[in-house]
Amino acid sequence: MATVLVATAALFAVSLVFASSSVTRGTLLTMLPFASALAIASLGQTLVVMQGGIDLSVAGGFSLYVVIVTKYPAGDNSRLWAAIGIAVLAAIAAGLLNGFLIGRMRLNPIVATLGTNALLFGAVLWYSAGIPTTTTARLARVGGGTWLGIPAPVYFAVATTAIVAAVVKLTPAGRRFEGVGANETAARTAGLPVRRHRSAAYVWAQLLYCLAAILHAGIVNQPTAYEGNNYLLPTVAAVVLGGTSLLGGRGNIVATAIAALFLSQLDQFVLALGVSYATRTLVQAAALAAGVALYTVNWRALTRRIARRRPSTVAPT
Amino acid sequence: MTPRRGGALLACALLSIGLLVATAASSAKTTAVPSWCGPKKIKLGFTDGFGGNSWRLVTTASARAEAKKCPNVSSIDYADGQGNTQKAISDIQGMVAKGVNALVVFPDAGKAMLPALRSAYKAGVVTVPYRVTPGGKAGVDYNVFIDTPFAQAGENWGRWIRRVLPKGGNVLMLSGPKGNSQGVEENQGLHKILDPSGKYKFIGEQPFEVTNWDPALTQKVLSAAIAKYPKIDVIVSDFGPSLVGALPEFTKSGRKIPALATSDGNVLGCFWKKNVAKNPTFKLYTVSTQNDHARLAMDWAIALATGGKKPATTHFPSLVFEDSTTGKPNPVECKANLPGDIYLSAQLPAVAQAKLVR
Repeated sequence: MATVLVATAALFAVSLVFASSSVTRGTLLTMLPFASALAIASLGQTLVVMQGGIDLSVAGGFSLYVVIVTKYPAGDNSRLWAAIGIAVLAAIAAGLLNGFLIGRMRLNPIVATLGTNALLFGAVLWYSAGIPTTTTARLARVGGGTWLGIPAPVYFAVATTAIVAAVVKLTPAGRRFEGVGANETAARTAGLPVRRHRSAAYVWAQLLYCLAAILHAGIVNQPTAYEGNNYLLPTVAAVVLGGTSLLGGRGNIVATAIAALFLSQLDQFVLALGVSYATRTLVQAAALAAGVALYTVNWRALTRRIARRRPSTVAPT
Repeated sequence: MTPRRGGALLACALLSIGLLVATAASSAKTTAVPSWCGPKKIKLGFTDGFGGNSWRLVTTASARAEAKKCPNVSSIDYADGQGNTQKAISDIQGMVAKGVNALVVFPDAGKAMLPALRSAYKAGVVTVPYRVTPGGKAGVDYNVFIDTPFAQAGENWGRWIRRVLPKGGNVLMLSGPKGNSQGVEENQGLHKILDPSGKYKFIGEQPFEVTNWDPALTQKVLSAAIAKYPKIDVIVSDFGPSLVGALPEFTKSGRKIPALATSDGNVLGCFWKKNVAKNPTFKLYTVSTQNDHARLAMDWAIALATGGKKPATTHFPSLVFEDSTTGKPNPVECKANLPGDIYLSAQLPAVAQAKLVR
């Protein structure tokens, strides 16, 4: 967690020096809600990755929940709670499907969640015909509003991160969950229901995507029917930057949330630099590669190898 | 359909009654047959590259409504390419195989659609692509291409900016994906009108800030621009409704919403009405989103196939719709009881549009 914390602090320092306009109150008020939604969705992805899986259906699921909470009420505040209820049910169904395919049928997570993703997008098109609906006023007030000067979604993100971290790290159920991800054989030998834990990760993940999607619908007043597409890569990136191994095992819950903040600020930073769209994309990719390299490259071995090679590389000119 | 505010309610009521009567009576009772509707009986096909958003739904319904004005059109077949070029091509081939006499095509995939258009044309079907240029030549690859000069919208915006900001100012333009031809041409029109005076400065990425027409990205881009440029006098955007979520960024930064030259949408008109009191600098000017472009394409296809009188032009013009400063040709319109995703600049009545998008 120290790494991502340092990286994020460094990013804010760099932002302050090179593009101070990216850390004004106005831009922070824009960036933080998006960061919050991304953090919550990334927590879902973390739970799945902790079980050695990966969830590509975040795009379809997220889009579906956005469409449900905007189209079902269609501007009528009194129907908002019902819409949220339906979205939660849909999330449980999508999670159970993923869980069944991967936990029970033992399908490869990439293949299974890609299939579920297609199904979920099918549901998006069936329900909305791809037509966006304007967000209900009450939801827009939550997504776009501030409480005590801080964007409301931030409270949701902090609370969700705290709850997920506490449950995973402090409760017996959470410890079992992490144990199953760390070593399947050991967990099975210890009599833990491996398949059930594995399946449950996908259900919890969808529920977290659902919460993120509801907030996102509030933040963006006119969400498209395909909002989830913008969350697929960033959720995985946040998990990796947070230091959770893609092979499963220990999950860095809080670090994932901080990584989501890092990615969102990076977005805003390159925008504020005022460079062209092409450069913007390159800077983002480079920062991501550097972040991933911090964890995956064996730096000690690398420096040792370079040190050993050095004499031979000095060429007589 | 843009009733003036004075009699708007009355007009709406009369219109709904009129519609009811019209639907109750049989369609054979349509009043005057338009001149582009000739004596030959035809079957008509209409293919879309991508039909899945509210703008397309209204456009498709407008095209159908136009074709229904001609009693000699015995059937209208519609196919949606769903954003898949391969399907869009096979849709055209399918229409030809079904034996349609005229085919109107929205060739989203551009030049990739040319071979399919050519083969339809060679098979003797009256082929009329519109809005997105497929390349090729009229009379060789298809009958006629019905275009819209996007630069004209830029010129309209430019003229309005010169009027509301006579002393000059900073102009921020937003458009869709990097390098999209619509945004590039609009920008050229804008420059053509504003540059001679030398008083207007274009700020942000040139020719335009890239938003991909995505509301979330628009929000981020705009908030970055607000922080970076202490003075933005006018925003130009070719997708007005996508700004509704982004404009409050000005309020968040403690600034007033500036003038806005863009395209229309019900949600935008309503947003303006709600915010103009607190933002006196928020002047609004819109050009039509051109749902009725499809009508001109229909007129041409039907005229050529039925032997009717050809329309006067193949260009669908950029039409000014709302101007909050003069109220001409229309004051800003908002139908708060109808969905935000309808376009009051379209001929298709607002109530009919609302039924489509709900």
